[in-house]
Amino acid sequence: MNMQRREALKAGGGLGLFGLLAAAGLITPGQARAEWNKSAFDAKSIEDTLKALGATGAENSTDIQITAPDIAENGAVVPVGVVSALAGVEAIAILIEKNPNPLAASFMLPAGTEASVQTRVKMGQTSDVLAVVKVGGKFIMTKKEIKVTLGGCGG
Amino acid sequence: MSDPTKIRATVKGSDGEVRILIPHVMESGQRRDPSGQLLPAQYITSVILSLNGRPVIESALGTAVSTNPLFAFQLLGVKAGDKVSVAWTDNKGQKGGAEASFSAA
Repeated sequence: MNMQRREALKAGGGLGLFGLLAAAGLITPGQARAEWNKSAFDAKSIEDTLKALGATGAENSTDIQITAPDIAENGAVVPVGVVSALAGVEAIAILIEKNPNPLAASFMLPAGTEASVQTRVKMGQTSDVLAVVKVGGKFIMTKKEIKVTLGGCGG
Repeated sequence: MSDPTKIRATVKGSDGEVRILIPHVMESGQRRDPSGQLLPAQYITSVILSLNGRPVIESALGTAVSTNPLFAFQLLGVKAGDKVSVAWTDNKGQKGGAEASFSAA
């Protein structure tokens, strides 16, 4: 557990250096895969995921907007966008509460990248979708419920 | 998997929008084939977007990202002609990528 925690911290804190190394060509994308935070993606509950991300106790905030439909007809393809007007956003993670593994995607944003990401996720059933944002070393989050009429997992 | 990764970059004012479409099965490892066998998971774990060779977004994905994932990102302070490239890797080690130049909207 300690090791996993350490890796989670490294993934969060070491990115500045990592970006530099990658820019200098010292790290290839193949090695970058080692940064993939396994414990966070394998976590089965929101609490465990937040813990693995080092984001325990993230505070609710109105500075993040989730762009997503209120009702998704097809759970296999749910467009979700996260936008924050805050300056200095370092990371954005998208979590889906009732999926088998809540963490859907996380995005690391080096300085100078606008805090705006959009992607499409799968949702097994109606659930809250959480956006967790790391800004200035602190974690904040917001959530939105998306109703799913046809589940996208299983089959 | 034969379809190439698509990337489109447009300048809108001082911002640039990058849209990326990656043809990929994104198999979650939770589905079963008709005989009841679990289909092995195969999904993209890493997508790295670079602007003029400098990484601007490093994303880590889980199994919950949809089949043929689409991403849209906004980048600040880009101009027409700037190069963006995307490189992805999945959990089986397959790789792909694409490159484009920003064009005026």
